[in-house]
Amino acid sequence: MKRHLTGVIAAGLTVTLGLTGCSKGSSSGDSGDNKTIRFVAAIYDDKTKSLWDSLIKTFEAQNKGYKVNLEMVDWTQMDAKVKTYVQTKQTPDILNYNAFADFARDGLLFPTSDVLSPQVSSDILPSFVEGDKYKGTQYGMPLLSSVRLFFYNKDIFKKAGISAPPKTWDEVKTDAQKIKDKGGKGVFPLGLPLGAEESQAEFFMWAMNNGGGYVDQSGNWAIDSQANVDTLNYLKDLSKSGLTQPNPETTDRKDVFNQFAQGKIGMLNGAVFMPAGFINKVNAKLPYAIAPLPTKAGGTPSTLGVQDFLVAFKNNGGKKKDAVSKFLNFFYQTNNVANFQKEEGFLPVTKSAGDVIGKAVPYDKPFIDALPNAKFYPTGNAAWGPLANTVKEKLGTAITGDPKSVLSELQQTAQKNG
Amino acid sequence: MHDTIEARGAGAASPARTPRSPSIGRRILRALAPLPWIGPAIILIAAVVLWPVIEMAWTSLLKVSSSGKTLGFNGTRNYHDLFAETGLVSVLLRTVVWVVGVVLVTIVVSLALGQLLNARFPGRRVVRWAVIVPWAASVLMTALTWNWMLNYSYGVVNKILQGVGLIDHPVNWLAHPTQALIWMMWVAVFVSLPFTSFVILAGLQTVPQEVYEAARVDGAGRARTYFRITLPLLRPALLVAAIINVINVFNSFPIIWAMTKGGPGTKTDTSTTFMYKLAFVGSGSVGESAAMAVVNFVLILVLVLLYLRAVGWRGEAQP
Repeated sequence: MKRHLTGVIAAGLTVTLGLTGCSKGSSSGDSGDNKTIRFVAAIYDDKTKSLWDSLIKTFEAQNKGYKVNLEMVDWTQMDAKVKTYVQTKQTPDILNYNAFADFARDGLLFPTSDVLSPQVSSDILPSFVEGDKYKGTQYGMPLLSSVRLFFYNKDIFKKAGISAPPKTWDEVKTDAQKIKDKGGKGVFPLGLPLGAEESQAEFFMWAMNNGGGYVDQSGNWAIDSQANVDTLNYLKDLSKSGLTQPNPETTDRKDVFNQFAQGKIGMLNGAVFMPAGFINKVNAKLPYAIAPLPTKAGGTPSTLGVQDFLVAFKNNGGKKKDAVSKFLNFFYQTNNVANFQKEEGFLPVTKSAGDVIGKAVPYDKPFIDALPNAKFYPTGNAAWGPLANTVKEKLGTAITGDPKSVLSELQQTAQKNG
Repeated sequence: MHDTIEARGAGAASPARTPRSPSIGRRILRALAPLPWIGPAIILIAAVVLWPVIEMAWTSLLKVSSSGKTLGFNGTRNYHDLFAETGLVSVLLRTVVWVVGVVLVTIVVSLALGQLLNARFPGRRVVRWAVIVPWAASVLMTALTWNWMLNYSYGVVNKILQGVGLIDHPVNWLAHPTQALIWMMWVAVFVSLPFTSFVILAGLQTVPQEVYEAARVDGAGRARTYFRITLPLLRPALLVAAIINVINVFNSFPIIWAMTKGGPGTKTDTSTTFMYKLAFVGSGSVGESAAMAVVNFVLILVLVLLYLRAVGWRGEAQP
């Protein structure tokens, strides 16, 4: 009886241990090969996957024995996925994301000097490099960039009797009123997306043209500054006066971009990729024009520049450095990177690709010209990632609530995170 | 009689020490004898139920960096941070409204539906199948469908209401927290109905016909029969339906996530979506989110226990 029982228990234990053993084995199995890397890329549009697929195919053909496993992740899923990767220690070898500083702070990344050849490093446009650094060391590699400019619908402007795009906030308001009165039925004068998708961008574009922003001159958090409060009060007033689409606080950027493409919005802060991603799909003949962003009092307009990054994770003591480095240097070859950015409708991040795209795509010229006056997010600050997420979430509530208290709550979040 | 006194004297808590037992080892072995049969179940429960709970509680005490990296022990800081969140109180209150509202309406409607499905009428089988449909469809799909139906510019709800003349202008239903919450509660009721009405239907079918006959003979009217006979006999079914619904609705994530993502801000969040946001959307604190998960876990336990106490549970939910 006793022996029998022991036998059964032993058998049961063996089975369970065997099972867990198996699952352990299979999960660590994929990291055994130093020439196979895992690349998690974000989906920018329908073409993104096939662009990466063909790049990887060429890479694998040129480098026998190397393999790149591509995983595509939608932007709406990205934050949750990335956090889970880090927490469960399953970080990819290369990640395409919009933040890097907190990974760098936690020692998870290769410095770019470890994985990029000197030629590639020096090819990156200097205006981006500052935003790629954490505490003086470059960790982020810009993948692509975009610049925002003011888009307006020429037909709607003509109908409303407006001759030129607005240069100041007062003109924005009077023009919006004209569009509301005469611009046509079902047309919203100004598209103002302060919903969770990208309110951190929309707010920044208005705030920077009022002398505000996320940080002050010396790089300290200044989210609750008077300039920012005034900015939100101005936007709140526009919304209250019925000059925007209804409920800016729950409207996502893609919604207003789509409505602009359908000719239902008079003007908005658009982006370089709006024609490729939105307008051409709906109505390639939409009569739109591009202007600098309006400013509070008519000063020099600034605009928002955004760069998305590639980062290389130092997995398993960095034993895949060679393969990661090979693939990154391959990607940053002029034609590869230029073709990727051109097809996606974004702006170049390297000098050599800039020359190629500047000649090939005349549409991009005003955006490339706007780059010198572009302001970037404080991406090199490790608190920016969490702060950006909180801003997305909470900023819109200022439209129905009290701008000052919303901004001071955000200021606290920023200070708490560093 | 003698036995009882002796057992009390020896301390009932440790019967193993009674002199009559052959040997301690043998007794332990006998107690362990069922283990090979229940062992796999215990291992399974420990692996899929207990271990995650322990892991959750443990994570709530860890300091997890915004990138997701675990930095070490954090004591009760996560709980301090959680209770300092400005939105927390209203989120918790909203959770109560959400759970109580959805479950109450679901049960009342299901009582009627169950009665209907129990009645004999031509085409009953078709109706029974039709009621299952919202259950068979994915909750996320249902929520997304409603999200589109309620859309400001294209939604069919606005079109219909305008056509009927109930509203003059289209309404941006999901942008206003109160309206959005009511619509989401409606969707939650909609997807909870099939399960609940079928549990009640099953309960109705266990009520013996003789009881009704006796009531008729005694001259009880319809209302009296329902409230004095049907409802009391449905108690076990109602109990099961209510508890399972409370847990389901409390943990319901897809409806809110697909329709408003808890926004604007946290104004349509329940504690379940709020928990997710703490980790993955807001300032990205996994530890604080785990603390919220622990609070949720305790809340749901308390809610169920309070309910069981209120209905005077005496093990009748078990067959």
